[in-house]
Amino acid sequence: MNAHDLYVVSPYLAMAGAAALVIILDLFLPVSGRGGRGRGLLPYAAFLLLAGPFVLSLIQFYDLGDAANLVRGGDAGSDGAEASILLGSLSVDRFALFFNFLVTGAAALVVLASTEYVRLMPRFQGEYFGLLLFSATGMMLLAAATELITIYVALELTTLPLAALGAFLLNGRSSEAGIKFLIIGAISSALMLYGMALVFGFTGSTQLSDISSAVARAGGGGAFGNYALLVGLVLLVAGFGFKISAAPFQMWVPDVYEGAPTPVVAFLSVASKAAGFAVLLRVMFTGFFDVSLDWAVLMAALAAASMTIGNVVAIAQSNIRRLFGYSTIAHAGYLLVGVAAGVGTAQSGPETPVFASIGPDSVLFYLGAYTAANLTAFFAIAAIGQRVGGDRISDYAGLVTRSPGLAIILALALIALIGVPPTGIFIAKLYVFTAAVDSGLAWLAIVGVVNSAVSAYYYVRIIRVMFLGQPPAIYQDGGARSARSAAPWAAMGLAAAALVFMGVAPGFVMGAAGAAVRALGV
Amino acid sequence: MFLDDYFRQYGLVAIFCVVAVAVPVSMMLMSWGMSRVGLRPRAPSAVKAETYECGMEAIGGKWNLFNFRYYMFAILFVIFDVEVIFLYPWATKFLSLELFALIEMAVFVGILLIGWAYAWRKRDLEWG
Repeated sequence: MNAHDLYVVSPYLAMAGAAALVIILDLFLPVSGRGGRGRGLLPYAAFLLLAGPFVLSLIQFYDLGDAANLVRGGDAGSDGAEASILLGSLSVDRFALFFNFLVTGAAALVVLASTEYVRLMPRFQGEYFGLLLFSATGMMLLAAATELITIYVALELTTLPLAALGAFLLNGRSSEAGIKFLIIGAISSALMLYGMALVFGFTGSTQLSDISSAVARAGGGGAFGNYALLVGLVLLVAGFGFKISAAPFQMWVPDVYEGAPTPVVAFLSVASKAAGFAVLLRVMFTGFFDVSLDWAVLMAALAAASMTIGNVVAIAQSNIRRLFGYSTIAHAGYLLVGVAAGVGTAQSGPETPVFASIGPDSVLFYLGAYTAANLTAFFAIAAIGQRVGGDRISDYAGLVTRSPGLAIILALALIALIGVPPTGIFIAKLYVFTAAVDSGLAWLAIVGVVNSAVSAYYYVRIIRVMFLGQPPAIYQDGGARSARSAAPWAAMGLAAAALVFMGVAPGFVMGAAGAAVRALGV
Repeated sequence: MFLDDYFRQYGLVAIFCVVAVAVPVSMMLMSWGMSRVGLRPRAPSAVKAETYECGMEAIGGKWNLFNFRYYMFAILFVIFDVEVIFLYPWATKFLSLELFALIEMAVFVGILLIGWAYAWRKRDLEWG
């Protein structure tokens, strides 16, 4: 461990330090004080502390320059410095930094949006923000990890705080959400560890670069060239499939989305999914590219299954959060189309895979747009839930007469999720399906387009209820109407602005995504 | 042939599974069969139906309450324990280690102190 190593991991240290500081602040702030001051400052403290990892990532971004990776080589340098202990376990490159910004941004917006929501829980506010930031630390590490053990530790750091957060409301549904997330997360971790053990047994290394060369040496022949590798890779995909909530690993999604606190669901649905896709892309493309023709078929099948199951089951939902649970499964499917499209075939011979960077590019762009859209939607759902006191779609009837601002923002997010211009997801879907056609997966693109059309039905249904439905004569009181705070509106506005920005001027995020994918160095 | 070898090794597991199922099933079948032909007497009594608890007489029902605050002390003990485990070798080698080790131990103890402060402020050290 030398000074440079500390600099390399500084964004992660800053994020974990922010989490610890929030918890300490919570211990020593007065419980309520005059006019609710004291604890009420916590979200703003957490928001300000998030500037730490953000600024450090920004510094690293400019420091990176033309270098591929900030982690320096393993041999002791000429200046007598100690060798880096990070070599092989972390790669702080543009890919990792892209997700640093995505996760930090999502965490900041979720913290802002939680200011009103945490008033529902009189205790444990410090723990709420602390766990949120610890989970964000895990997600950032997950995007940088290039070694199986590091990936596992980062994954657990991501999952365990989220399970605790899911059970935060101390009611039956919330507890159920937390326990389900914990148990199914543990099962998928166990599967993934078994897969890692098999991959380690076959390749003799836990580092993705060594795994890649061992896989290349093994050559083709049969499924993946080897049964151990086949089983290992399938088990790894099962573990990642849980994180990205793709079918057939999606059973936990609707229950958790229904029961967990809404801002937590917002964070879970975007940042956790983004981190899952980050690690999936890095493991698949850096570690196992030589057998990519085999796993691309697997990804395409998972994509088709996720899209279809998510969209078809979403039609029948009457609870808006369950509906969004199925919607997120469907979006995992669209994203997997991009992963599968990252593998093309050479003109010379069909047996050698060619890296089609447009596939992963489109995944990263889609993740950015989806983050903005889903955060907008969930912030609106959280605010509406506090006003109408329910999550059934029928509760939303005639919302436009009561809270026109919230109705319009939610409608914008829903239109975006269908994939209608001028929003980011329109460009993202166009991008993903173009990538699929380019890589010879035209059938998958057709499945995706048909599914988008199906999804329009249930998204538009909510809009119709909000704008044309008959408002109830007597409103239920949602309980938190007196709490008027600008912060959730700011979070909603920022997320919606990002959503429209990515639709009108996609070049900025697209360029960043392209640079990030080049850093994978396939 | 790779495949044959691979699955032959699982053959042992398969045999084990068959034996593991066959032994208890045959025992139960034997008992049942003997009761049919009248070899096994049937004389139920209250003592036989009691819960077996290492030879002790069972007291009370199974749904009794117990105080789970002990778990808080167990966790705090683990914090303390781990601290000592790392402090002890560090202290014996302290002279040969450099300033770096001192800083590192300060960081480590600092992280544990957060846990202690948390338990203290949340009143988990108080009984009652």
